[in-house]
Amino acid sequence: MSALPLQRMKWTYTVMGHHGSCLSAVGRPWILYWQPNSGTAINSQILTEVYQCVESMNATKGGRWKTSITLYKVILRDPNAPAEYARDFLGISLNEQPNKHYFILRGSRVVVEADSTILTIMEKLQSYKSRLSLFFEGIQYQIGDFQLRVGKVVLSHSENLKGIVMEVEYMPISSVEKSRQIMEEFLDIWQETLSKKSLPGHFVHNEANFADYGLADHYTSQHTAVQYVLVMGHLIAAVRG
Amino acid sequence: MECVVQGIIETQHVEALEILLQGLCGVPKQRLRIHELCLKSGPNLGVVASEVRLLCDLEQAEPSWTVKHIGGAMRGAGAEQLSVLVRTTVESKVSRNALRFFYGLGYKLDYELLRVGFAFTFERGARITVAVTSVNKMPKLHATDEAVPVTPGIQLVEVTSPAAADNYTDVVAAISSFCEHLAPLLHLSKPGVPTGVVATAAAAAASLMSNGSGTTL
Repeated sequence: MSALPLQRMKWTYTVMGHHGSCLSAVGRPWILYWQPNSGTAINSQILTEVYQCVESMNATKGGRWKTSITLYKVILRDPNAPAEYARDFLGISLNEQPNKHYFILRGSRVVVEADSTILTIMEKLQSYKSRLSLFFEGIQYQIGDFQLRVGKVVLSHSENLKGIVMEVEYMPISSVEKSRQIMEEFLDIWQETLSKKSLPGHFVHNEANFADYGLADHYTSQHTAVQYVLVMGHLIAAVRG
Repeated sequence: MECVVQGIIETQHVEALEILLQGLCGVPKQRLRIHELCLKSGPNLGVVASEVRLLCDLEQAEPSWTVKHIGGAMRGAGAEQLSVLVRTTVESKVSRNALRFFYGLGYKLDYELLRVGFAFTFERGARITVAVTSVNKMPKLHATDEAVPVTPGIQLVEVTSPAAADNYTDVVAAISSFCEHLAPLLHLSKPGVPTGVVATAAAAAASLMSNGSGTTL
């Protein structure tokens, strides 16, 4: 890697890495997904190259991480009779909240956080069942005040690669707005570093409209759950496209 | 899983009951103000019709929500001989938009209540909670400030304790033993089994009130 990006990164760590006060150990992650170039397909070699790129940035390698999304399907006693139910009902288990579970109703823009025992309650209600699950899993890294999670997206019971994601979190600031500039500058450096590998695609970040879900500016795990669902939507659209 | 017994007491004797409980339990009382919403699955939703309860603790500075599922009671000859109901329950803390979430799933509000009173939670062979509450209904949807008693002059007493498959008999014994101390004031039995007020309640209450606050036993 050339000296210039390293110098920029050092500047980033030194100036932006100490920007603002350290409010808590929770940052405000951006979740990016890999968008293949038109006419190309995603493959494991791209994932390998992405890992190598992260590791070339003097990242400290951490442990593994895993987040999952489950799509639910309604159970109707009579499929031909009318009923009111949720058509876009998702459950999310986040890596950083092992004792919590999140549900999202995409149609009505509702996100709830609950103890994991909510899953036992939902099983007992027998009104919805799991249709399929997506696993987001990979390796965690630390670069200065930034935490990165890079990983693959696969369906449960399958190793076929459905996507590649990267979660970037600037740990000292949990405000969505205050962290924006810092994140954008870090990602500029990242994209520039990755572009040298001439991979057939690039990472995309789409801003989630958290206000639609009634979420405030102060970042929480509910925001992360909403982001993952948004990414899942893009991945599904990409596969169908 | 939990073990439960219930009974009723006249409101005029609640203060005496509180004195008795304070003496028996030796712990501070907790105030209760819980908005309980009972939701039922809409038509055709689910394998069978289902119910779930949302409990909003209004006593906290920031109201907190819990989802509770109450399952079927333990069955069989052994269970019928128990003086305490043993049933499955599952609870989960949930964020404040839980009602909107369950509406979105197709659940409907069946009824709502406001329970106001107090509770004591203590260890006595099991972790036992005695809750004494007036059960109130709301004339308008969610109007907790306008709630009025369902049965004026009568309050509900519930004694509950969490249990597991391998210890419920011990928990049943602990509850039964504790309830004997309350016998002069009220009779406790399985939910759904009518009890009525106890004939000795007035005399027992007068005795407790004349003695003042009891000593911890």
